[in-house]
Amino acid sequence: MSGRHDKNYMDVDSDSGGSYIADDPDFNEGGARGTKGKGKKAVRRKETFKGKSKEQPYAWEASYTRSWDTVQEDDTGSLQNSVQDLLTQGRRRRLLAPAAAIRRTIIRHLVILLDLSSSMMDRDMRPTRFDLMLEYTREFVVEWFDQNPLGQIGVVGMRGGVGERIGEMVGNPQDVLRCLESRTKLEPTGEPSLQNAIEMARASMSHLPTHSSREILIMYGSLTTVDPGNIHDTLDACVRDKIRVSVVALAAEMKICREFCDKTGGSFGVALNEGHFKDILFELVPPPAQRAAAAAGPGKGSTADLMMMGFPTRLPDSSPRTLCVCHSEMKSEGFICPRCMAKLCDIPTDCDICGLMIVSSPHLARSYHHLFPVKAYTAVMELTPEERNTRLKMCYACSSPFKELQKTTITAPGLSPLDRYRCPNCKNDYCADCDLFVHDVVHVCPGCG
Amino acid sequence: MEDSPSHLSLVLDLSPTQWHLCSTGENPLPLNAFLAHLLTFLNTHIASKHENSLAVFAALPGKSEMLYSSTDPTPPEVTDTADSNTYQPFKALDSAVVNGISRYMDAVDRNAPEAPCALVGALTKALCYINRLNHVPIDNANLAPTIPKAPDPRILIISVSPDLSSSYISLMNSIFSAQKLKVTIDVCKLFGPDTVFLQQAAHLTGGSYLNLEHKEALLQYLIMTFLPPPKLRRYLATPTQDKVDFRAACFCHKRIVDIGYVCSVCLSIFCSPLPVCSTCRTKFPIKTLQRLNSSRPPPTNGVGKPKNGVPTSR
Ligand SMILES: [Zn+2]
Ligand SMILES: [Zn+2]
Ligand SMILES: [Zn+2]
Ligand SMILES: [Zn+2]
Ligand SMILES: [Zn+2]
Ligand SMILES: [Zn+2]
Repeated sequence: MSGRHDKNYMDVDSDSGGSYIADDPDFNEGGARGTKGKGKKAVRRKETFKGKSKEQPYAWEASYTRSWDTVQEDDTGSLQNSVQDLLTQGRRRRLLAPAAAIRRTIIRHLVILLDLSSSMMDRDMRPTRFDLMLEYTREFVVEWFDQNPLGQIGVVGMRGGVGERIGEMVGNPQDVLRCLESRTKLEPTGEPSLQNAIEMARASMSHLPTHSSREILIMYGSLTTVDPGNIHDTLDACVRDKIRVSVVALAAEMKICREFCDKTGGSFGVALNEGHFKDILFELVPPPAQRAAAAAGPGKGSTADLMMMGFPTRLPDSSPRTLCVCHSEMKSEGFICPRCMAKLCDIPTDCDICGLMIVSSPHLARSYHHLFPVKAYTAVMELTPEERNTRLKMCYACSSPFKELQKTTITAPGLSPLDRYRCPNCKNDYCADCDLFVHDVVHVCPGCG
Repeated sequence: MEDSPSHLSLVLDLSPTQWHLCSTGENPLPLNAFLAHLLTFLNTHIASKHENSLAVFAALPGKSEMLYSSTDPTPPEVTDTADSNTYQPFKALDSAVVNGISRYMDAVDRNAPEAPCALVGALTKALCYINRLNHVPIDNANLAPTIPKAPDPRILIISVSPDLSSSYISLMNSIFSAQKLKVTIDVCKLFGPDTVFLQQAAHLTGGSYLNLEHKEALLQYLIMTFLPPPKLRRYLATPTQDKVDFRAACFCHKRIVDIGYVCSVCLSIFCSPLPVCSTCRTKFPIKTLQRLNSSRPPPTNGVGKPKNGVPTSR
């Protein structure tokens, strides 16, 4: 396998690639668990579906629902109870969350492998698997960078029997989104090759430092793979390189995918419908809990380290043109290394002159809300007569008057009949909207901040 | 400017000490002279488009307060009889802001040490307010699409205080939530040196940062730089963003640093190498500590960096 690991093998272009791979004698050796060839593929998939549909409802069996439809009217035709339930669920989730910060490896490197084979045009998910995957991937990228600020994402597509580099490993969410922007450029066609794509992803992560995670996320709608060699060699290589492979399957379980996840410590899921697809995809957003050093024995296997980092000054487009040290080009904008004053084009990076790791401090700060979360507010059940006189009649944050609920509609525990949620720290009262907004978005209590 | 309505939330830094310094010394700008410029600017914003909305928040020592909002323009305190010569919205705005400010300034105990100004408190209140205005009431969500009450929202911070590095993390959190809400943060630095963190706030949200040199021309600068809604600015020659300083505050001493030691687990920043992360309790390898200690840059002249350990409180 490693002997064949060369440029020609990785970058077979699509016109020659199809026949080359199909003619390859050992093409079925590893990846053949799912199927034996193109002809049988469609039949095979149908069988799988038939078997499965008895147990689980498929997306195409249910009518198209928007998330709004999950809020339902109660007997009296009021939406209030269901809405309250939603609010309460969010609140309860927070209350159950551990107060102490969880150890997380936050510097992550992820390559997203998108199935762009013709099977992605299937409409069992609306509008198509492909469109849904694109939409969710974009949302995933935004959320992922939000929680993994120093992380980098690369994108590889699988179509026409080859792996296709769609986006280089970058640390800027906008750059990743840009390469996922054009639907037409990503138009699905041909067959996917898991092995080619995984090898391409693996190669792009081989140089990474030890304190960062290496992950591959595969979104896969096919039940076949056309591979040039033994995919188990690729699996072994991933295990050796400590690359965690996770798969979100859109059709059905493929044994080789499951094996990749099990052996590399990733997670495997089959999406049952649109909502479930999103759920299992977004479970991969939070950093994997740092494996305790204990697992590798005391003093061993700990990846934690203290890193020296420089926070640069950014020069505007209007500054005088000078030479950058990374490309030796004359340009105005750039970042100045605080240690050696060299001018760099992009961050995060290691300074080409002095080797200092240069990052934008706001990138680091993106994750600090994990470390110092706002304490959960407590629902105020009643006010003493004295409090009724002295307490503000309006939310401390947004200044809107508290909307007291009718006694009869109160069902959910953790819900304040007075619409008052009190910060245990600053003792101010907030409305339900602000409670959610403060804990889910702002991460700063207006009274404590 | 006639095209689309926009919402402006003003955050006013009202540190009594800083305003005292600002109204004395060379090139002085007393608070009441400043207010005259500011109110004209705010009135221009309200008058330039019927649907424009406005809210004013005060950052005071140890607390923050909403002084005015155009959706609820008459707070109970304003009891002046209507003056037929003044446009009513202006009058309500002017008296709410002026009365509000003088109420707090009069209550200041000049002998007590001044608590830091609750700038982040005022900023998060402004964000909560914008979130509330733009939040479609759930009961109507599936009816006719509602026009957001705070369209093209922005926050203008008028700052006279230096960076408060103890609120670094909460300020950054507010900046990120502004990004998510697509709220532009503008900063007008009236007095004192540039603030690193507010520069970052403007940069990260696509706003303008202006350090005012000619205080006598304040109104002109406010109108030129901050009156056009963010959507229109790219068509106008508004001052371009200057250098942005990406320095951060260390968690150990709240000191602003350009080189820091960062925990790989939780990303806490420290100004000197330490064996255990004080945030997440991770132990760092001894080898790393030796390497970092030996390669540490020499202390910068004058403002010496702390020697190993021994954090000084106060
Ligand atoms: Zn360069
Ligand atoms: Zn350097
Ligand atoms: Zn509120
Ligand atoms: Zn609080
Ligand atoms: Zn420190
Ligand atoms: Zn730490």
